[in-house]
Amino acid sequence: MTPDYAGLFSALRPEISLVLGALLVLGLDLTLYRRHSPGGRLQLALWVGSLALLTAGFQVWRAEPGTVFGGVLIIDQLAMASRLGVLGLTLLTFGITQGSPARRQPAEYVAIMLLAASGLLLMAAAQQLLLAFLALELASLSLYVLAGFDRTRPESAEAGLKYFLFGGMAAAFLLFGFSLVYGATGSVELTEIARQIAAQGSNPLLVVGLVMVLVAFGFKVAAAPFHLWAPDVYQGAPAPSAALIASASKLAGFTLFTRLLWPAFGAAAGSATWLNSGAGWFRAVAALAAVSLVLGNVAALAQTSLRRLLAYSAIAHAGALLLGVLAVGSAGPGPLFYYALTYGLATVGAFGVIAVMETAGRCERITDLAGLHRRSPLLAGCLAIFILSLAGIPPLAGFFGKLTVFSAALHAGGIRSPAGGLAVLAIALSAVALYYYLMVLKQALVAGPADGAPPIKVPRAATLALVTAAALIVWFGMNPSALLGLF
Amino acid sequence: MADSLFYIFAFFTVACAVGVVANRNAVNGAMCLMLCLMGIAGLFVLLDAYLLAALLVLVYAGAVVALFLFIVMLLDMQGGVKRPFKKMTAVASLASLGLMLVGVSMLGSRGHLATLPSPAAAAAPVGAVLKNYAELLFTTYLLPVQVMGFLLLIAMLGVIVLSKKFEGMEDIK
Repeated sequence: MTPDYAGLFSALRPEISLVLGALLVLGLDLTLYRRHSPGGRLQLALWVGSLALLTAGFQVWRAEPGTVFGGVLIIDQLAMASRLGVLGLTLLTFGITQGSPARRQPAEYVAIMLLAASGLLLMAAAQQLLLAFLALELASLSLYVLAGFDRTRPESAEAGLKYFLFGGMAAAFLLFGFSLVYGATGSVELTEIARQIAAQGSNPLLVVGLVMVLVAFGFKVAAAPFHLWAPDVYQGAPAPSAALIASASKLAGFTLFTRLLWPAFGAAAGSATWLNSGAGWFRAVAALAAVSLVLGNVAALAQTSLRRLLAYSAIAHAGALLLGVLAVGSAGPGPLFYYALTYGLATVGAFGVIAVMETAGRCERITDLAGLHRRSPLLAGCLAIFILSLAGIPPLAGFFGKLTVFSAALHAGGIRSPAGGLAVLAIALSAVALYYYLMVLKQALVAGPADGAPPIKVPRAATLALVTAAALIVWFGMNPSALLGLF
Repeated sequence: MADSLFYIFAFFTVACAVGVVANRNAVNGAMCLMLCLMGIAGLFVLLDAYLLAALLVLVYAGAVVALFLFIVMLLDMQGGVKRPFKKMTAVASLASLGLMLVGVSMLGSRGHLATLPSPAAAAAPVGAVLKNYAELLFTTYLLPVQVMGFLLLIAMLGVIVLSKKFEGMEDIK
């Protein structure tokens, strides 16, 4: 093979712009802006960072589809859409950062977010096990630092440490699993792995490797029973970090997961029916989805902390997204992508509201939301849209996400198949979810404010981010084919 | 001959790895880690990957473990107090043992380990010669190597961010 360095360079232009942007942010902060106030430094870092994100978005838009550098990367519809989604969600997170409480080292915060975004972009396009692992680590390592960034609160340190320890364990599982897959198939390229699996069928080495990969991805997307880190991290991490962990990282994670399971291990899926007892990952993923759906929705009922409630709802949504992964085989990646992106938008928005409220005062318990409609009608209105979208109320995007994923799962094998049964379970649990989501809205929209709670002033960038996220949710809900038509 | 050597090295490696986890004294643990890496280097030699074996001994057994030892001795870490035995621990170990037995027996009855194809063994030992190794790093695996560089950059940035001290500001311990 003659290496095509020019092709590699041109395919990597989005990542290169992000990394250059991160270095520029750090460099400017250490030289010209050294003596400015933290607010000014954050302002500059966010401007430069946003510029880098927009440049990267433009490069992704212009990228030519096809495989790159002998199949290391693949630029297809899913990769392109997922990369644009990651960049958009990161941009919204930047808006939230402007509205969240001030912190030390603002430039480093923005730079690490940019590096995390570059890892997520690589994850969305990786087509080789080695690169997939490294991209995942690139993103995860940045997210660990972001989770533990706030050194004035012990909760943040706890979040960072817990995320790091669980993440390190998951990385070990992933690497071990990948090496077993490599041992069983003799290749790290996904296309070659697919050919080998189709030729030799399943063997024990491959099965053990697959189980380990499933464990690692279950951790990455916070699916039960690998969810233990999620509540503590969502609770302790600074709000923008939690938003990035919950949205962009999930979108890229599910893209990579889908690419691994269907194109590469598709032949080892096993059958989609109960009766036939062919072994495969289909049923393992279905079990993960079922446990996540039940545990997430039921545990969320008991939460009094707003962030922990969002964490358990994230676990439940991970279950629904795994259902979307199962449906990819018959319906394509469209429903999964639609669900993941609109879920990400709503979560970024919800954490944005939390961030702004934390600047003004406390926002730990759900009851701290009391009287939000008086204190800031804008925040209350946006929160209503985000929460209702998470609950799946039409005409918001969350409803169509659920509709497309569940109907794709039902079409995959009928109501008697595992996927169909899961869809019915998920629909029933959506009613449970409605209860805890509406409890949040009751505090925000109906309950009166506590004595002496001042009105909340929302910074301009945060307003822009929240309104954009809300508008996108409404627009995608009204016009789902804008996303579903891409695939 | 090669087979028995493989078993010797494999047993040695696993025994040392158990030693790393089981040792209460951190210095002894680090020493076990070094021996474990030596065992892995021996396995690499059996696979004709001489370069990897040498690199493993030089970089990991030489530099990284020495750094571990240095930090352990600098912090003067002693083995902590023995944790009290909990019922939960026993239940968890029994459950995991049972799961593992089920897994192994399933593999034994349903899997066909004997007919395992080994494409890796048929491949030419490219890692044996420095030139092939270098060529792979600059062609097939160029991108992973570059990404690795950024991984180190992030790690460095993260360490600075999480450990830098500021005057006049209180940090949590």
